[in-house]
Amino acid sequence: MIVRTGLTGPFPRPEPLVAATRDLDRGRASPEAVEEVFARTEADVAALERRLGLDWVTGGYLRWADPFRPFAETWEGFTVGPLTRWFQTNTFFRQPILHAPPARVPGAIAGWLPPAARQDPAHGGALLPGPYTFAGLLDNRSGETPEALVHRLGRLFADEVRELAATGLATFEFSEPLLVDRPPEGALAEAVVAAYRSIHDASDGATTFVWTYGASAVAAFPLLDRLPVTAVGVDLAETDWEEIPATSERRGLGLGILDPRTTLVEDPAEVTRIVRALNERRRPTQFLLGPGGPLDLLPWEPATQKVHLLAAARQALQDGNGGRR
Amino acid sequence: MTASRELFPAQEIGSLMKPRWQIQGQHAEPLDPRARTEFSDENGRTHFGDELPSAAEALLAGRAREVGADAVRDLGALFALRLFERAGLARVYDGEARRIEMYEYPIRQMRGFTFHGHVRSFDHKYYLKASVTDEVRLEHPYHLEEFDFVRRHARGEPKLPITGPYTLADWSYNEHYLARQPGWKGRSARRAAQREFVVDLARRAIRPTLAALIEHGCRVIQIDEPAAGTHPDEADLVVEGFNAATEGLQAEFSMHICYSEYRDLLPTLLEAKRCRQWAWEFANRDRDGRDGYEVLKALAEYGDTREIGLGVADVHRDEVESPALIADRIRRAAKYLGDPARIWVNPDCGLRTRSLDVARRKLEAIVAGAALARAEFANPRA
Repeated sequence: MIVRTGLTGPFPRPEPLVAATRDLDRGRASPEAVEEVFARTEADVAALERRLGLDWVTGGYLRWADPFRPFAETWEGFTVGPLTRWFQTNTFFRQPILHAPPARVPGAIAGWLPPAARQDPAHGGALLPGPYTFAGLLDNRSGETPEALVHRLGRLFADEVRELAATGLATFEFSEPLLVDRPPEGALAEAVVAAYRSIHDASDGATTFVWTYGASAVAAFPLLDRLPVTAVGVDLAETDWEEIPATSERRGLGLGILDPRTTLVEDPAEVTRIVRALNERRRPTQFLLGPGGPLDLLPWEPATQKVHLLAAARQALQDGNGGRR
Repeated sequence: MTASRELFPAQEIGSLMKPRWQIQGQHAEPLDPRARTEFSDENGRTHFGDELPSAAEALLAGRAREVGADAVRDLGALFALRLFERAGLARVYDGEARRIEMYEYPIRQMRGFTFHGHVRSFDHKYYLKASVTDEVRLEHPYHLEEFDFVRRHARGEPKLPITGPYTLADWSYNEHYLARQPGWKGRSARRAAQREFVVDLARRAIRPTLAALIEHGCRVIQIDEPAAGTHPDEADLVVEGFNAATEGLQAEFSMHICYSEYRDLLPTLLEAKRCRQWAWEFANRDRDGRDGYEVLKALAEYGDTREIGLGVADVHRDEVESPALIADRIRRAAKYLGDPARIWVNPDCGLRTRSLDVARRKLEAIVAGAALARAEFANPRA
């Protein structure tokens, strides 16, 4: 059993960064002073990820105001729109408004990646919005159909992956909560498959995975199993693991084992029991273990406690598995 | 229902922005010129400062420390009361002048919770969120002193807002009740744990507080459940919490919900007993050619005949609605409900996000719009 672990979404901001950014908003701190706190905290998160032996290092994506903002602010065709609730949470994103077919600006997103991901790209992780979720949550005034927009975003993300993979970046995660919240059907589902085919073709052997959360993935599995990616991830707090279907094709399976909706730390014994049972039933090529949703739904301290479970679970699985990773 | 009242009485929904002079006074800072002008302008209109002369005098003389922060808050409460009354509202409160927000304060009156730090809401905005780590226990009923002050000073009918059990639970991390669930904490375990948490909050904290408030003379109580729309599939928990919190109590209860797809909560929400009024936001969605009041048809379809606290002014826009627009909104609501006598008018939600000047003008527009509509209904051929 191959088990890999890593963060699958943004990490929370610690209290000093909360204070610094509040002070910035109130004119009590300079941008330079806040920048220092950001850099220090990114280094802290990356150090934690390395210490725990996580397989890809993200640096926490602490500067990303929401999953879309770097794109809405740097790619062409967008403006930044109103505050909008992020699924069934008490957090919000600014809805991108697409006025014309989008166009990417080379190099723009690379500049948004945390230093930890850029400095050691072989172990760096790019956490990106999935084309279906991006297309579905923006305000589309471009005149493109939803299907055409998913196709187009797939090609743009493929170009992004090509550019970043050329720098040595080895892991790309596409966050797709909308795939399970509102599973696509018909032509739209085909557009999603095509979008990920474009991304796969551009990935040059890098690990690509799609991470779903916030709703049960069971109904979406027929589609998820068609996506040409290294693995698809599901939120185990929402998805009944006993209903995850077997598949004839061997592929990776991601399991969101940390629930960011509660500070209660999960039981490693329960996690290993579930992983082993799924290994028997589904025989995935590898397991990716991560948080079931964005850990920044928690404050820093409980999130830090929880993330230790990733290392503990992997260790427990290896101990019962001849130490093989 | 409201047969003895005139049509379309107006009410507030919750908070007002705290005046600058109150914030500076609470921190024992001397008032800057802007705060001083803000104080004297409103005092010129309502003379609220004349009712607490020693506190007002000390505040204006830069001696707020001498009278203390509580006296400044008293002034703030009186300021809000008089502002609401002068605008013409029939039901009033203190603009939540003594409260900082609607979650942390009630939670800090209880045992069983642990605060861990801030969670980002958006951009550089954060909120505190506690974990329930033990059984919920109430330290002591809350909001009593602020209600007593309002009761002593209000000329209108006091209506107290209080955060409901479902919202307090939804805005907390459920640790204690979830830990009691056996096995993997999946969806069904989470739901069962949340039910226990909501009901415990309702029975052990909210109900005793409501009972104490009623004992103090509180007759009209708005239970705020802004989280109700976050998880439409938990509408039954909203209802269960409301029913447990109000069980056996005699008062005029309303339920305030905002920024939700109300149809997704129906018909489950209608199982709320002892809820006499739905106080909901509508004006925010009444734009760009969309009829924000059409959803009221659903209540008629389900045969619900309770009062409506009709949101007729958007609290997220500075643009002040015209009385004609407000009258039109009332007219449409009356048509969908089939009974104008069930309508109260109010802002969509608390006005704390608007400047005091905008808030005042919106309230005045609401009252003027209600008068226009009232005249039409009294004389339908006019």
